[in-house]
Amino acid sequence: MHAEFQEVVPSFPLQAHNLQLSYQGQLALAGVDLWLEPGSVLGLIGRNGAGKSTLMRAMIGLLEPQAGQAFVFGEPALRLSDAAKARIAYVPQQPEALAWLTATQMLDYVGRFYPRWDAHFAKTMLHRWEIPPSRLLAKLSPGERQRVDLIRALASSPELLVLDEPAAALDPVARRELLREVALRAGESGTTVLFSTHIVSDLERVASEIAFMHHGRLLLRCGVDESKERYARLWLPSRQASAAPKQALSRRHHEDGSISLVVECDAQQRWPEAAALPGARIDALGLEDLFVEIAE
Amino acid sequence: MDASLLTIQPHASEPIYRQIVEQLRRLIASGQLGAGELLPSVRDVAGFHAINPMTVSRAYGIAESEGLLERLRGKGMVVTARLRASHTQAQRLALLEPQLQELARHVRELELPAEPVLRRLTKLLGE
Repeated sequence: MHAEFQEVVPSFPLQAHNLQLSYQGQLALAGVDLWLEPGSVLGLIGRNGAGKSTLMRAMIGLLEPQAGQAFVFGEPALRLSDAAKARIAYVPQQPEALAWLTATQMLDYVGRFYPRWDAHFAKTMLHRWEIPPSRLLAKLSPGERQRVDLIRALASSPELLVLDEPAAALDPVARRELLREVALRAGESGTTVLFSTHIVSDLERVASEIAFMHHGRLLLRCGVDESKERYARLWLPSRQASAAPKQALSRRHHEDGSISLVVECDAQQRWPEAAALPGARIDALGLEDLFVEIAE
Repeated sequence: MDASLLTIQPHASEPIYRQIVEQLRRLIASGQLGAGELLPSVRDVAGFHAINPMTVSRAYGIAESEGLLERLRGKGMVVTARLRASHTQAQRLALLEPQLQELARHVRELELPAEPVLRRLTKLLGE
């Protein structure tokens, strides 16, 4: 039996198997497997250049991988039917389409293509997020431009929402509003959401799962609550350093001979035995700490 | 009860669902939430704090299984009626468990023997 073989599940909004992609010899995706179940909110964390945008674009068929395959609602991502396209909304970091229209014109225009377009929502949000309604999109700031695109995506009432660094364009109040929309839609309408960010607190609020991406690979994928309950930092003084468990997500040796490791608890919520040694310390990790620890 | 009565700290190393359960336990044990009092809907809590509704449902579910809350058909979650009388000493002690665990952990880290710590604690409690 091949361990890599995975069945295509039509009910899964997103499914990717072994995606590989390089740009000019530079490896961007080094064989990524990722799938999202309906109604889940997956936050993708990673440093700049980790491959987050590339992964999202390849997953919805905007980039062709050199190996591997992606599926959207069970259809091959590179050959999506119009029906499948109407169910998804993607907001890139720098939207460029239809720049010769004003925000109002663009939303009126694209609204016609979506069966569940919410024109009232679009109008309300343009006002709330202070978008000049009759200025050409080309003349808006990058932040305003991304806000218009977020409104476009949400107004289409998608079943799958893919957002690339949506927080960058928003002030704290608008960011909270976006998170509220994302959380309520996922919880009540079953909208599936994939979003990338390096603002970890956003993930902690709304995400049901997180995936850490580093140098084109997924280092870790788990539930947000689980990530906090399952991993911790174990610090051992130099005299105990030799007792450090062999299994650890990361391992750092300090100048004074002490050592810190990211360790995992077992099914009975027990930490590795070394945690009980005299002088040993176990510290709970927030998501941000966990990310920094394992991405070094 | 209003959704704003809960405090959510996304950065904390304690998951949000546990933060909610913990606060419900305390609010109920202290009587700030009285028997029969209606809790805000999952949607209200999730919307107010911009958190995932499934997190709130999970917290309410745990509080329900602990007997703190009960589901009233057509109304929502309310604080269980007979609760305060049935709060035994063991149940109240269980509320302290996380703090006791934390204390025990610090004691081990400082490599202190148990006796002086217990003496000091006894003194504090006697005051």
